[in-house]
Parts: sequence; structure tokens; C-alpha cells
Amino acid sequence: MSWRRTMAITARLLSQFRHDHRTLGILFAAPVVILGIFALLLGGGGDLPAMGVVNADAGPLGSAIVRQLEASELVDARIVDAAEAEERLTSGELAAYVALPEDLTASVMQGGALDPAIHLRGTEPSESAATLRAVQAAMVAAAGELAALGGLTVPELAPVVSYRYGGASLDSLDLLGGPFVGLLVFFIVYLVTSVSFLRERSLGTLERLMASPLRRTEIVVGYSLGFSVVALLQAAEILLFSLWILDLYNAGSVLLIFVVEALLVLGAVNLGIFLSTFARSEFQAVQFIPVVISPQILLSGVIVPVSAEPGWLQVVSNVLPLTYAVEALRAIMLEGADLASEVILRDVAVLAGFTVLMIVAAAATLRRRVA
Amino acid sequence: MTDAGTAFAVDISGARKRFGPIQALDGITLRVPRGQVYGLLGPNGSGKTTLIRAILGLVDGVEGEVTLLGTRMPDREVLARIGYMTQAAALYGDLTAEENVRFFARIHGGGDVEAALRFVELEDRRRAVVATLSGGMRTRLSLACALVHRPEVLLLDEPTVGVDPQLRVQLWNGFRAMAAGGTTIIVSSHVMDEAERCDRLGMIRAGRLLAEGSAADLLGLAGVDRLEDAFLTLAEGLL
Repeated sequence: MSWRRTMAITARLLSQFRHDHRTLGILFAAPVVILGIFALLLGGGGDLPAMGVVNADAGPLGSAIVRQLEASELVDARIVDAAEAEERLTSGELAAYVALPEDLTASVMQGGALDPAIHLRGTEPSESAATLRAVQAAMVAAAGELAALGGLTVPELAPVVSYRYGGASLDSLDLLGGPFVGLLVFFIVYLVTSVSFLRERSLGTLERLMASPLRRTEIVVGYSLGFSVVALLQAAEILLFSLWILDLYNAGSVLLIFVVEALLVLGAVNLGIFLSTFARSEFQAVQFIPVVISPQILLSGVIVPVSAEPGWLQVVSNVLPLTYAVEALRAIMLEGADLASEVILRDVAVLAGFTVLMIVAAAATLRRRVA
Repeated sequence: MTDAGTAFAVDISGARKRFGPIQALDGITLRVPRGQVYGLLGPNGSGKTTLIRAILGLVDGVEGEVTLLGTRMPDREVLARIGYMTQAAALYGDLTAEENVRFFARIHGGGDVEAALRFVELEDRRRAVVATLSGGMRTRLSLACALVHRPEVLLLDEPTVGVDPQLRVQLWNGFRAMAAGGTTIIVSSHVMDEAERCDRLGMIRAGRLLAEGSAADLLGLAGVDRLEDAFLTLAEGLL
């Protein structure tokens, strides 16, 4: 082995890096950004899940539980009346509420079980888990408090849990699957479009198209339609696979899910064309994934609810289109939301707006020559 | 002004364009009469490709005036009557030869795919996927894509690079035949023996037109026997 020849390869490689600032930037910046987002997402700091307490108990146990819940670091608990609790659980303002009945203390005094009704919204697994743990802890602490005063013996804990949407039978796949279908479609379509459109640029065929009577919008829209045909078939395939083979829980309209996916596909196609403007090679187009795609996936609310992010990060999440797709897919599949829902209408409008914006951006930057 | 009244297919006056530190076009003025074969001669990097792109209206921010078939450029509609063959054979590698030609015909509003394939002698390879064609075949196919819609003006950026001498002769015979039929052809080259087949030549260097005229004119102007020498002499005279 010749050391000189080997070093020639190494030196050449390092020189290439020196000339490719973007690769260097991504190499060193992307991991910090992505890990940083991860830390912010999982480290908390955002809003705690909101839960309501309906306290009708005439005795001291109810107020002891309320006190414990209000002091809890797992949830943000507040006292509500029964009608308000129902309404806010449906609208999503509350992740859960617990109803403490009139005879709670009395029945425990007579040796009965401590069995309040816990109503969970059931669409955010992390919030459901947090509220259940908080209520459990509050019951233990409250019962212990009263037992220490000699008022009662420690009762059996038997909360009655019910789910507004889905149910206890929903597993993680049901809860994450729907949004994940959207993310997958977005990611793959972006990748295929950006690389393929970049070839049109780098092979010089785009130059020929520009030297023809074709308008820029004709090129972009023609491209979008062509890719969308394939991408929509792919979206349909993924959807049918998820619903029929993986048996994903779905309470809503399959057609509406497909509409959301279709909007995502159109957005991703045009994002791919637009971003290909800023890449000189297929390699660079792929490099956009850690910069543009990964943070969107992390911040879309699929892993950690947007409301649990620190405030400023919520602002970022709220300008990213994927966030709206995730919200819509969850609402349709878990809650059975339809076009009568304001949330769905807003999400669909945002996704459609993003698509139009990307078509305009792609057409506007089409002429830019990178080569 | 309608182009019917214009004797010139291309009319450029005072074209200037700078890319960063490089003055790619430095005040070029030239006119190409209809039906002529006009050769742009110059070394690599002299501005030939930029000039061709400027004629097509593909270069942003060109100073001066560029008129193509009587239309002030940039203008999209007139491009339906123009054919352009880029320097590298820009084709869709996963389509067949015929599919490529048909696509370019369609975006220009129609054309004779058969005739174009016959012109470049690729009719028996029509179903071959471009990726399987040799370099010379791709160059020919690229040419077929540029002329399939029977353009009035054909812009060819170094069309015979990688083409063997025999086919080069055939292609030039074809160009001459097209010109006889009224097509204006502007062809860039750094191969001087091709230059003699042009009706008129423009010698370009550093974005400037050094000299213009027929091959005989240029030889006379420089007082030499070979175009290569004429180019060198004229280039020195101007520097």
C-alpha cells in the first residue's frame, strides 16, 4: 500500500469539502438543530395537558383530590362545572376531566371503593397517560391525607375510565398511524420530485423547455399533475394498506382522508420543484431532507402535541404545513371530524394555500440557473 | 412592425451582459439575413453560448436590443418558430428516441417526427431508449428534437461535437438544404473547417465581435490562407 497515493485520496476529499460549504454546514449544523428540537420537544417546558375537575362531593375527600390535582406537576387542573367539562372535552380545550360524585366521601366512609369517573379525550396518548397518572396520584395522596387524620381507612382505588374518541382499545399505531401516513406521503413525494426535477435542470432539458413557447406555469403545473397522478396512486395505496391490512382505527370519511393526503401530495410536489432551484446536484437535493423535512416532521405534532412545545416553538410549528395535515388526519380518523368541523376547514384551507404558494414560488424561480 | 417586412432573422445591437467579473457579451452588434447559415466562431468561453441564449431571450438583464424574427426579445410566442440545440445533448434518458422527438414537437405546437428522425438517420433506432444510444447518436437525436417543428430559425450550439466525419458531412449537407428551403441557421463552432460551409461568419472573442464576413472576406482581411490563422491575426489586432 502506497501511503502517498492513499493520502492523495484523503487530501482530495478534504479539498472537496472545503469547496462545498453547504455539505459542511449540513454535516455540522443539522445534527445540532435536530437534536435541539428533540430536546425541546421531550424536555417539556410547554403547556401541561389541561384537565377539568367537576367536584360535587359534599365531603372532604373531593376537595382534597382537587387540591392535589391543582398542585400536580403533571397536569394543569381547574375546577369546572359538568356542562362546561363536556363541552371543553369535545372541543379539545380539555384533555380530560374527572367527575367527583356527591356521595364520594360518604361511600368511601362506608368502605366503598374510590371510583370517580375519568373522561379522557383519548386522541393524544401522552396527555391521556399524564392525566391518568395525575388523578391516580391525587387519589392516593388525598385518601392518605384523610386516613392520617383518622377519618377513614384507605379505600380501594377503582376509577372508571371512559374515552371520548376511539377507546381503550386504541394502540399507539392507531394514534400515530394516521398522521404518519401523511408524513410518509409528503416525504417520499418530496424526495422523488426534487431529485427528478433537478435532473431536468442538470441535464439541460429545462433549458430547452425555456427556449420553447411553454410558459413557466405550464411547466410547473404540467409537472405537478404528472407527479400527482403517481403520488396520488401511492397515497391511495398507503391509505388502503393502513386501513385494511394494518387495520388502523378510523372513525371518519376515507374520502376526506384522501383529500388531505392529496393536498399534501400537491404541496410536496411543488415544494420539491421549488427547492430544486437551490441545489446543484441530486446530492444537494437530498441534503434538504435534514434541513427542511426532518424538523417539519418533528414539529408537526405527531410525536409530541404542539401545545406541549415551548411557546416560541409552537409559533414555528404553526407556520409549517405538516402541522395542519397531522391535525386534520388525527381529527378525521380519531374523532370522525368532517367538513362541518372548523378545524378541518381551516386545515384544508392552509394546505391548499401552501400548495398554491409553492406553485407560485416554483414558477417564479424556475429560470434561475444554478449550473 | 411585422416580421414579414424584416429581412433579418436576427438583429442584435449593442448587446452587453456581465456575469460577475466576466463580461460575457461586450457590445455585440450583428445581423443575420433570412435563409443564411451564419457561423459563430470563437474559442471556448468567448461568449458564443451566451450570445445564442441571449438571442432566445434566455439571459436576464441583457443591455442593448435583440430582435428575433422581427420580435423584440424576450418573447415566448416567437419561440414556437425557433429551434434550439443545446451544447450537451439535452434529452430524456429514459424515453425512446421517438418519444423524445414527439415531446419536443408537441411543446412547439406540432411537427413531423418521421421526417426529423429520417433527417438524422435514426429511424431504425426510434424505439431505442436514449440511455442505450451512443454519444454521436444522442447528438443527432438532439438535433432532431431541435428541428422537428420545422423552425424558421435554427440555433445550433456546437452541433457536431462527437459526430464522426462522415456524418458531419451529411449533417452539413442537411443544413445547407434547410437553408436553401428558407431556414436561417446560426451555428456556433470552434472547428474552423466547418466555418467554410457557412455563408457568413462572426469571429467572437471575450464577448466582442472581432470581424464579420464570408470566409473569403476574413482571409482577405487578415491576409492569410487559413481561417485559423485569420482568427489569430484578427484577435491580436484587436487586443
